[in-house]
Amino acid sequence: MGGELKELEQISAADFFYRNRSLAGFDNPVRATYTAVRELVENALDASELAGRPPKVMLTMEEVAEGRLEGTAVYMLRVRDNGVGLDPEDVPAAFGKVFVSSKYKLMQSRGTFGLGGTMALLYGQITTNRPFKVITGREGSPLYEFTMKIDIQKNEPIVLDRRILAGVTRRSMTTVELYFEGNYRRARSKIIDYLHQTAIVTPYADIMFIDPDGLFFFFARTTDQIPPPPKETKFHPKGIDFELLKRLAETTKTRKLAGFLTAHFQRVGSKTAAEILARAGLSPDLSPKRLSDEELERLFRALVTYDNYLPPDPSVLSPLGPKLWEEGIKKELRPEFVKAVQRPPTVVEGHPVIVETAIAYGGDIKPAGEIQLYRFANRIPLLYDVSSDVSYLVARRLNWSVYGLKSLEDEPIALFFHVVSTKVPFKTVGKEFIANKPELAREVELGWRACARDLRIYLSRKRRAASAARRVELLSRYYALIAEVLEELTGERPPIETVLARVARKAKVEVPVEVRESGDGS
Amino acid sequence: MATEAESVEEIKRRIMEIAERVTEAIERGEFPSIRYPPNSKGNIEFREDVGYIFRPKTFSEIEGDRVKSVKTLAGVLYGLAKALDHLENGLTMTKRDFYYLHKVERLKGTLFPEDQRETDARIVLMELILGAPREAFSITSDPRGWIYGDIELVDMTGRTIRADRVGEMGYSVPPRPENIKFKRIGVKAVVAVEKVGPAKNMIELGIPEEYNLAIAILKGQASRSMRRFLRMLSDEGVPIAILTDFSPWSLRIAATVVYNSISSAHIPYLAAPEARFIGIMAEDVETGFFKDYQFALEPLTQADLKAAMDNVHLPNLQHPFWQRENEWFLKNKKKAELEIFKAMSPSAKELKELFVSYLREKLEDRLGVSI
Repeated sequence: MGGELKELEQISAADFFYRNRSLAGFDNPVRATYTAVRELVENALDASELAGRPPKVMLTMEEVAEGRLEGTAVYMLRVRDNGVGLDPEDVPAAFGKVFVSSKYKLMQSRGTFGLGGTMALLYGQITTNRPFKVITGREGSPLYEFTMKIDIQKNEPIVLDRRILAGVTRRSMTTVELYFEGNYRRARSKIIDYLHQTAIVTPYADIMFIDPDGLFFFFARTTDQIPPPPKETKFHPKGIDFELLKRLAETTKTRKLAGFLTAHFQRVGSKTAAEILARAGLSPDLSPKRLSDEELERLFRALVTYDNYLPPDPSVLSPLGPKLWEEGIKKELRPEFVKAVQRPPTVVEGHPVIVETAIAYGGDIKPAGEIQLYRFANRIPLLYDVSSDVSYLVARRLNWSVYGLKSLEDEPIALFFHVVSTKVPFKTVGKEFIANKPELAREVELGWRACARDLRIYLSRKRRAASAARRVELLSRYYALIAEVLEELTGERPPIETVLARVARKAKVEVPVEVRESGDGS
Repeated sequence: MATEAESVEEIKRRIMEIAERVTEAIERGEFPSIRYPPNSKGNIEFREDVGYIFRPKTFSEIEGDRVKSVKTLAGVLYGLAKALDHLENGLTMTKRDFYYLHKVERLKGTLFPEDQRETDARIVLMELILGAPREAFSITSDPRGWIYGDIELVDMTGRTIRADRVGEMGYSVPPRPENIKFKRIGVKAVVAVEKVGPAKNMIELGIPEEYNLAIAILKGQASRSMRRFLRMLSDEGVPIAILTDFSPWSLRIAATVVYNSISSAHIPYLAAPEARFIGIMAEDVETGFFKDYQFALEPLTQADLKAAMDNVHLPNLQHPFWQRENEWFLKNKKKAELEIFKAMSPSAKELKELFVSYLREKLEDRLGVSI
């Protein structure tokens, strides 16, 4: 677990989560098993990517005892990454508190809820009352092992044991090991699906999983290339809410409102700041920390209603890029055709957004009787609520017949949709589907259209080649017969090979061997 | 009577010529093709005095480089090879035989037919390519039709036959009547009767012997061999009378004997333009022979009515006489069958009188033949 820990700040936290665990995906043992795996894998990937090296994530899950409920069990879950490792002083705070990322800066990150893997740890503690372990070390420094619990009421880490496992760590790494009660049997297919889809969108990562049955799943990377890591950026004024403005104002180090605006927001220079403050009727010299709620509200209104900003800076986004996207799809699904397209940046609710789409056809992809749609947000697979997703609605609406496709359900075709943003426009708290915003729908549609145009060309070439091959085959068959018949009539078999070679050359196809032979024979 | 086009040697020569042309094209490294005049509308003319004439203005190609026609090319060559084999061995085959010649192991995946229509269509194509009727290349037509009367002929087997001494129906017209030589014709006219029943009655009542007539039994639409045979008799100067029902179908039967039909328009010598239709016709039913027997008329069926409507456009029924006859059906929606003689004559003696008086009146009127 990496990150800028000094900028973390606790919220009312562990207790809140304890009461609202369904919000975070821990509402039943099956879902909780899936969510725990997911949180830890995503943290591991983030940590490794931040270190700028291809992630290597090793996931182990063992059943250690029976659970309290029918079908449940207590599992040991261990996740190891090859990220930068942690300073031992940061470990208790990083794992022992439920926190939100209080970076008052924007960054594209996986962390679905901004709570890191701590929810999984907390859930483990709640269901098993066992401590968890963190083993971490930085290259050249000692390797530490922490045994910890979380004080739920106080939201404080309790370090039960801290020891040095090795004097020198050879390669930076972090391992988190926890116990929780769940139901792997029923979560299994979802987890495998999740890892498989994660591999599609992370072709540069090695992901290994040994499941409670001892089965070994290995999603091997096929490339060394990592997309450039996302940069942090300031908020765009159109993309903030009141709460955030308030918190920024409370914690800022700036002394005057004018400086506050230019320091904390992108696309706001001194001229724009002056205009906004004039609209809000606030003096530029006021101290941001001393604003009344009513003044803050005026400022907020002025900020979000001002229309002359430049659009938010998209350079902070880190899309996968068509090459890696195609790589991931090829390695996991082995289609005969794949085409990925990255759309230019756009803006949704004050946040920069880049949509990436892809279409894969044939090969190991078989018709499924339903639309095969893979959705990703900030490189996380979305597995639930497909039919409400903007991409699903676009897939249904698009006229695919224009591209030589009869129906998505009955063809060997898979669609892919990836949205990256500093704030992914999820529709619900469950964060499983993307809102049907017109500007997003447009991007998805244009992206898929571009992919489908290439698919149409590919399919028509394939059809042409197939029909040319059929033609050669058919003519060969009939000329073999014609030669036989002419031999009956004239006593001499005419040399049909020259004629057939001409057809084959024209079609760039080999004359089928068995036809050539039967022509010579009988 | 066999013309040059139909002699066995000529047909063999034409088959070999096609085989050699195809072989030569292949030897040159080119795709072979076969040119032929299709029996399309534009290639068929109609003239009242000779009937349908096949006069090709346009030609088609069976092209060997096209997926769509390579099968036809192979099919025609295969068909010609089988025809040659049969001709050389003095063997004939029916259309059904020809179909079965394609239902063989080695043709699976190529010419193995789905049904007989496929091979039947190829026979027509072979007729067009060779310019000869299928009988000339050993595919015989259904040899339907008999003739009874004082006609002495020598048939293909060389035997002399008298057509009133060979069974109760007379001489069965063979598939290739052009090989028949007439030795002696003792009849004043031939009456070609559509239906078997009335025709047999005429024979049973001794009418052919008593009145020097021959009765030809068509049994429905006259077969190609029967039409060819009637044409041969007509060419010998024998007046031909056609006696049919009075129905939309029967108009076609009569017109086919006189003019030939569109589907066999490419086959010459099937029309007998000198032949005359002697009824039953509208005036017989309205004011003539059967005017008191309108109660014995039959209603037209849906199919009959449809045929009558189609008759309006048939080229060989365009003469005002045929169109007037046809209009009667459209207007009255009734028809008269030859069996109407039975409705008029409770006794055998009376039936004979009725037949004779009808024939006497019509033969005199339409052909100038007195009996």
